[in-house]
Amino acid sequence: MNLRLTFTIIITKLLIFILRIFKHGGTSLPGKVARKIYPDIIKVISKDFKIIMVTGTNGKTTTTRIIGKVLENNGVTYVTNKSGANLVSGVITTFIDSVDITGKSKASTALLEVDEAAFNVVTDFVQPDILVVTNFFRDQLDRYGELYSTLNNVRSGVEKSPNAKLVLNADDSLCVSLAHNLDRDVIYYGFAHGATDSGESIENSDAVYCLYCKSRYEYSYQVYGHLGAFSCPNCGYSRPLPQVACLKVVDLNSSYSDIEFTLESTDDANERVSHNARINLPGLYNIYNALAAASLGHLLGFPAGSIIKAMESFECGFGRMETIETNGKTIKIILVKNPTGFNQVLTYLLTETQEAQIAFIINDKLADGTDISWLWDVDFEKLEKIQENISMFYTSGIRAEDMAVRLKYAGIYTDKIALIKDHEELLNKALEKTQEGRTLYILPTYTAMLEIRKLLNKKFGLKEFWK
Amino acid sequence: MYELNICHLYPDLLNLYGDRGNIIALKRRCEWRGINVNVSNISIGDNFDAESYDIIFLGGGQNYEQEILHDDVINQKGNEIRNAISNNKVFLAVCGGYQLLGKFYKTWDGKEIQFLDAVDFWTIGDKKRMIGDFVFECDFLKENGFDGKVVGFENHSGRTYLGPNVKPLGKIIKGYGNNGKDGFEGALYKNVYCTYSHGSLLPKNPAFADHLIALSLKQKYKDFVSLSYLNDEFEELANRTMIKRIIG
Repeated sequence: MNLRLTFTIIITKLLIFILRIFKHGGTSLPGKVARKIYPDIIKVISKDFKIIMVTGTNGKTTTTRIIGKVLENNGVTYVTNKSGANLVSGVITTFIDSVDITGKSKASTALLEVDEAAFNVVTDFVQPDILVVTNFFRDQLDRYGELYSTLNNVRSGVEKSPNAKLVLNADDSLCVSLAHNLDRDVIYYGFAHGATDSGESIENSDAVYCLYCKSRYEYSYQVYGHLGAFSCPNCGYSRPLPQVACLKVVDLNSSYSDIEFTLESTDDANERVSHNARINLPGLYNIYNALAAASLGHLLGFPAGSIIKAMESFECGFGRMETIETNGKTIKIILVKNPTGFNQVLTYLLTETQEAQIAFIINDKLADGTDISWLWDVDFEKLEKIQENISMFYTSGIRAEDMAVRLKYAGIYTDKIALIKDHEELLNKALEKTQEGRTLYILPTYTAMLEIRKLLNKKFGLKEFWK
Repeated sequence: MYELNICHLYPDLLNLYGDRGNIIALKRRCEWRGINVNVSNISIGDNFDAESYDIIFLGGGQNYEQEILHDDVINQKGNEIRNAISNNKVFLAVCGGYQLLGKFYKTWDGKEIQFLDAVDFWTIGDKKRMIGDFVFECDFLKENGFDGKVVGFENHSGRTYLGPNVKPLGKIIKGYGNNGKDGFEGALYKNVYCTYSHGSLLPKNPAFADHLIALSLKQKYKDFVSLSYLNDEFEELANRTMIKRIIG
């Protein structure tokens, strides 16, 4: 028996227990302490797990949730860092929480969401058996640095994990590059030609020019942002054929999406087996998340039926379209954290056909990014189209004033913009104005989401996030 | 009816963090006053004729993107940009676009990259980035009772130094500015306005936006006197709230 290990586990577990009593969640601090006492702890206790990691800019939490459901449907016992504690300490806490005092766990698999900036460091301690990468988009620059340094960080983590099988987004030229010139098992997922016609202008600001020769990519079609069928006319770097592909978006509405997809793409449409599935969360971006999870399930040899069932029934994560019903009114919370993610949420809001209200809560704390200039990269102009349908736009949070300015310059009438700094007042006023059967959409940045969830929890009771 | 033609140079490459907000602000503030605005996006390989435009905008970019456009801006568009500047064309250049107008950029490990040499300043890279909200004071904005205070966000590792004939854009009240040492921010030379402020700069500093609009209208139309009043309640609130928070 390793006494140092047992001692560290006991101390850490105690800490987790105490923090939860005081409702602090206790997702990161215990891991930090454990690392101080026993720096190698994660290596020791993770060695018996099959490790699946999910990283990338957007969609990590949702993808992890769907994968969780796929595992569950196939009787796999697993541990996961559900609450988005996705830095090194959070990963350690997750492992320690799951083992007994001798370091053994009942679970066979660890399903870990890992922050894309932390992935490289995490792989110093523990390497994935399978790595799922969602996408790369520009994110908080003051936190992550330039997009290409984030990409190269993840690349370095991939190199440190020589045995990892990769699940990559075929439509993302940055993501595909992770396997370029590497001899690895890779499953690609993506949208087949003609699967969707989003019909809106597509802004590609993150990967216009070839990563290898700096020529401008040609696209035979785009899905959104830089995602699509890219190819470089000069050096030939191009989108690989996705094995797992969305063949058709059958219905895209404000509650769910119906898709036709395949797990085994072939060029011959007559030969491929296609499946129909309903994805429990709306929005084009969640189709990508579902495809990523399907690829993982397929890689592990699970039957299509169990994957489809997972897509239909997974529970959304913390602040990702969490829904609260109160007095016949609906509140939906949708986390926003970077331009592409925010744009996708706005596109989703355009599917709302009934009168609704929208509250933007923008903070600029460290976890949100201290620089809020990215709000000007979000295409709020498209809200102009539905503003007759929106009875009021609320702005709140530390940067409520900046958000109000942004809406004004997007063409929203100033008498439709209400600036309310206090969250409680915001919630009361907005709910009062929401009619029965209608929805109040709350779009918070990360720390604003923590605040508003706390308040909503006090008022209506929510699931605690560490459960 | 007045009309302004705005050129956004390399919008697909120099578009770091909300720089397009400056174009949006110029466009809206003109439209609200019945001034017609055309925005042209000019990038690599496109013909650039500075005479067709009244305001030329250059934003910031990441290193990777700046490398891509370097040859095009130096060898294809360089002469046109230098001529336009000596002919008093109105320019707004932010962050990477600001540095690009200068003589050179010397990286922290000593590599020198030649820039446009359109304005007499140069930039020296450093490992430590200067990041944060900042406030500076511009004398040219001190009119109609306005105190000239501009608020934005800076994020740069380059330290910029001005030659003798170039004035700073403003005096730092809080933050780093050009080099974190001499207490000044940005550069002002003829009608070229250079700054490290993204954030975006113009929406939250409407006096600055109007200064650029009025300046270019004055150049274009002999009968132009002044801009009509706009209700800037939200803009001023955003500006004052941040200044109060930063200065305390």
